Formats: sequence, C-alpha cells, structure tokens
Amino acid sequence: LTLTAFTVPSLPGNERLAMVRVAEAVEPLGLSTLRQDQLLTAVGEAVLNAIEHGNDARAELPAGVKVTLSGCALVVRVTDQGKGGAVIRHSTPDLYAKLAGEETPRGWGLFLIEHMVDELRVNNDECGHTVELVLYLQTEPHRGIQPQATAVGGENDTE
Amino acid sequence: MITRQATPGAAVIDIEGEVSSFAEDELMTAYTEATSEDARTVILNFTKTDYINSSGIGLLVTLLIRANRQERRLFAYGLTEHYRRIFELTRLNEAIRVFDDELDALAAAAS
Repeated sequence: LTLTAFTVPSLPGNERLAMVRVAEAVEPLGLSTLRQDQLLTAVGEAVLNAIEHGNDARAELPAGVKVTLSGCALVVRVTDQGKGGAVIRHSTPDLYAKLAGEETPRGWGLFLIEHMVDELRVNNDECGHTVELVLYLQTEPHRGIQPQATAVGGENDTE
Repeated sequence: MITRQATPGAAVIDIEGEVSSFAEDELMTAYTEATSEDARTVILNFTKTDYINSSGIGLLVTLLIRANRQERRLFAYGLTEHYRRIFELTRLNEAIRVFDDELDALAAAAS
C-alpha cells in the first residue's frame, strides 16, 4: 500500500517539505508523537543526504520519497540520482573526539538515522542511491487505515 | 535569535525556528553578543525551536568548542522529549547541561 510518493528539487532546506508530506501521509497510522518525531528526523536526514551528497544540491535533480505500508512495516524509500559509490557511510561519531578537534564537528546524519528507525537498508546502483527506512508498527496503536481511502500521491508528484 | 543578559553572569539566546546550517551565522553572532559582557554561562533556549538536524548538531558542537576555549559553560532548556533524547544519544547532554526551564538554568548558572 503506497501512502504517498513524491519528489522534491535538490535544494538544501527541501528536506523539511518532505518531512511535512510524510507526516501528512502517516497521520492515519496514529504513531505516538515520539515515534513520529523519530521517523521524521530519519526522513529529513535521508532526504538532506540525497539532496546534498547524492544530487550535489542540483535543483534540477529530484530527490524521491515513497512511503509504503507492508504488513506491520512502514517503509520510507528515499532515492537520488547520484552516481558512484555509497553516499551513506557508517560511522560512530565521538563527541569528545570532536571537542578535541580530532574529528569534524559534523557527521551526525547517518548516526541519527540508524538510531531513529528499526532498520536501515542502503542500495547503490547505476541509477542512483536508495535508502530505505523501516519502522515496525507492532508496538503502535494502529487506527485501521483503509487502503482505498488513503492511497494518495503519484510517482512523479514533483514539488 | 534574541540575546538577553539574564543575570550579570548568564546570557540567554532565544533560538526561534531551526538549528541547521542555515542558522550558523545567526547563532555564532548571537553567541558573540551573549558573551560581549563577559557572561560565564550562555543558556540556549530551545522553547521555540521546531527543527534541529545533523548540521545543527554539528553547529552546537562548534559552539561548544568555542565555549570551552573561552572557559564558558553552555546550558540549555526548552528541548522537546525527542530532542532531549537526541542530546542523550549524541552525548551532547554531557557537555551542555539540560534543564526544564530558564529558572532552573539560571539557578545553576549562579552556583
């Protein structure tokens, strides 16, 4: 079941547009405030990564977002048009190393994503990079979303 | 952002909107203003902050480095539960003391 699918131009700041659209799409699921905040932080970071690193902040290149519900799993797929190697690299930032000047102050994005969702999947191919954020809904009150009534959006619903 | 000299030793920066790369110049300027009267403690008020992203966390780390070099303390209050957890996750809460409200922060700043 697709809850929404859209793209945003690759301009920094547009991750917030994506967060608003995803928040609207998952509203019927009745996620707790904390769980929704976690999901939206992960979405924002993934889209920002797609915009800044995958698409090099080129506005003409879309960053895609698709939200689907599969059983008890809510999946948000974020895509970019970037070529080459992975733009998502695992790291464990160390605050104290940063304060000591041994690491750059930045580099928190992936760390945040990994701790906000239940599962993170990354795929890179010749078409670009895809990041899947998975949230399992077992522990959340499910308000009985109706597929026919809530399937919205289209693949090329560009902002 | 608004900077207030709350007590002789503590200044408050009211952060409205977002803490992201877009806020860098404004936050750094606010910090300079906050410390212009030699406040030993700078208190960040997040009550009206609706978005903090990874770049914003990097910005707070940069601010911490600056404060540490100047032997000043950074405090914070007004964080939502979500951002409090992010402070814990990143361990920012170990370097920036987090309080429930301004009164608590000012009381700690005075001690």
